[in-house]
Amino acid sequence: MVSLELLGTPVLQHIILAYIALIASILLGIPLAILSLYSRSLQKVVMVMANLMQAVPTFAVVAFVVPLIGIGFWPAIIAILLRALLPIIKNTWVGLSSLDPALIASAEGIGLSQWEIIRYVRLPNAYPAIFAGVKFAAILANSVAILTAMIGSGGLGTVVFEGLAGVNMMKMMSGALPAIGIALFLDTSFGWLEKRMVPPGMK
Amino acid sequence: MIDEIQTVWIRYNLTERTIEHLQIFTIALLLAITIGVATGLFLYRRRRYSPPVFSTLNAVQTFPDIALLILLIPLAGIGTVPTIIACVLYSILPIARNTYTGLISVGPELLEVGRAMGLVERDILMKIRFPLAFPMIAGGIRIAIVFTMGIVTLGGIFGAGGLGAPLQTGINLMRPDIIFVAGIWVGLLAVILDGIAGGIEAELKRRFGSW
Amino acid sequence: MINRLIDPDQGSISINGTAITSIDEIILRKNIGYVIQQIGLFPHMTVRENIGLVPKIEGWSHDRIEERVKELLTLVHLPPEIFMDRYPKELSGGQQQRIGLARALVMDPPLLLMDEPFGALDPLLRRQLQDEFIGIKEDIGRTIVFVTHDINEAFRLGDRIAIMHEGRIVQVGTARDLILSPADPMVAGLVGSDHLYRHLENLTVQDIMRPVSRVCLLQASTSISSAIVLMTDGGEEVAVISDGSSLSGVVWISDLLRGGRLSGTVGSYARSPPILRPDGTALSAISGMKADGDSIALVMNGEELLGIFTPDEVLRRLV
Repeated sequence: MVSLELLGTPVLQHIILAYIALIASILLGIPLAILSLYSRSLQKVVMVMANLMQAVPTFAVVAFVVPLIGIGFWPAIIAILLRALLPIIKNTWVGLSSLDPALIASAEGIGLSQWEIIRYVRLPNAYPAIFAGVKFAAILANSVAILTAMIGSGGLGTVVFEGLAGVNMMKMMSGALPAIGIALFLDTSFGWLEKRMVPPGMK
Repeated sequence: MIDEIQTVWIRYNLTERTIEHLQIFTIALLLAITIGVATGLFLYRRRRYSPPVFSTLNAVQTFPDIALLILLIPLAGIGTVPTIIACVLYSILPIARNTYTGLISVGPELLEVGRAMGLVERDILMKIRFPLAFPMIAGGIRIAIVFTMGIVTLGGIFGAGGLGAPLQTGINLMRPDIIFVAGIWVGLLAVILDGIAGGIEAELKRRFGSW
Repeated sequence: MINRLIDPDQGSISINGTAITSIDEIILRKNIGYVIQQIGLFPHMTVRENIGLVPKIEGWSHDRIEERVKELLTLVHLPPEIFMDRYPKELSGGQQQRIGLARALVMDPPLLLMDEPFGALDPLLRRQLQDEFIGIKEDIGRTIVFVTHDINEAFRLGDRIAIMHEGRIVQVGTARDLILSPADPMVAGLVGSDHLYRHLENLTVQDIMRPVSRVCLLQASTSISSAIVLMTDGGEEVAVISDGSSLSGVVWISDLLRGGRLSGTVGSYARSPPILRPDGTALSAISGMKADGDSIALVMNGEELLGIFTPDEVLRRLV
């Protein structure tokens, strides 16, 4: 039987691991998507990369990090970030670009600057899509963060793999179940937030 | 460099691993398509079941894949079978949801004309709704292909063989050559399969899409 | 409602005396061709498959379907060899609507329902399809129930027009009935009874001619002096001259007066006016007369004189 105190650290590690990576993906992904609105070549590169990368199995992405960056906490963050970045960039870009051109034209017509158009017209319109992307990325980060224990990130994955190595069902479960709990919590709380955050006119 | 690749390829039986990998992938995908389309069709016929079924499938999909494989150990042990089950559990949702959406979102004017021609419900379903749902269903299958490829690779950790196995060896031995060869190969396979699926989807959209 | 896509809340609909609710709806629908504004061609099927869908379900042979499709495409003026294997999105709006019509006709239904079929087309194309439709209507010789919001379309295409208002049939009749004797102010407003001059195209020669009962008829042998007296008394400017049994022309009082002769017969002043058919449109009659510089025409049904038609008369009646 694994005691709760022992579990406390892996859970905390897991959450820290997943959420540093998630926040980094948001901070990187949204500006990248905005920039790619204004540069066709950047947009092409970003979207082609995002689409191709999305098809690559997570395990392969995690494995690549080892020879390229090494093992440990930070390489694991990079691995998770590489996964979580894609849905955020993709959704943000779709949300920002799938806007009625007439809306942009009228915003330019009333004299808004490019920045103001992004701030007051494009972003609010893209919120639902960005939000869905972040939700998906959060759940993905939670999932990848278990796998990264293979490359020495610590967290719940360590418990899982130790259990797997020792054929200890109890130990495996005590790694897996909290991760599932976190996943369900994320799904529910994001769903709840989604309902409150969408501007009333856009439901 | 080609020598190195060849050495790794032969030393770690990548030909057999690839065949194994694609076998598991194919079985899992075919099962997922069958069950997914059937589920979508069933939910179309019995719409009131669709909210509970979809929210259950949605919840399953949020589970970390490794956690799901572990949950399956008491039921199915480790190896190929639980890997296939996990692939199917993840892939039912996109296929079923897209089938369902495709079937119900046929233009009302087409249904009106179909009924007015004297087509019975069965004919409307088989000759109008289903063909028009093809592009949507193909889109769901494409998502399922990506999921399945990912989980089959992960199955390597759980004794299912396939290309995940050499990846795990590479990580454990800290051998960049194995990681690169197996990783790039499996990534390439995934991108190619996704590209083929994307091509089929686009063709179906062109052929069956509304104008 | 006629093909029971919607069942009535109240009232009943019968076709040839049989209430439609007593007919199996699938059989009913297979006997009613249906064309709608949105057309609803199946985007995943070629033109051939769209038209041949019901025959295929009915188990027709491939050759029979092919032949029928070709026949119908020819009827709607689309060369089969070009259009058979196209997909709907490769067709223009007008072509699509013609395919829609062909599809509705495939089982040769005795009744055709058309729900604003030309409503979504631009005015020029609509006009063109209406013209074609008039021809096709004659070719197929079927009863067509044609729903429209455009009263002029109804006048152009319809033989009998039913005006519906708030779920009731307010009046049924020909264009003439509706224009000249509207049942209520709503119908009058709808058809524009107070702007009759707009209806030259919708009214026939017969509708606005002066009937024979009110025409001054003179024998060719009538003397000029008595003709002048007769016409002046009757306030007639023109009279029709008959020569025994056959008509020999018309005579104008102005000609008689200008001639300055009192002896002789009116026959010598007779002119032969153009002849009009009673069912031509008033508009084409007037424009024909204007082109030829005629100011009067006889309306004849074969040998029988029905009345006379003068633009002055038309103006007086319509304005």
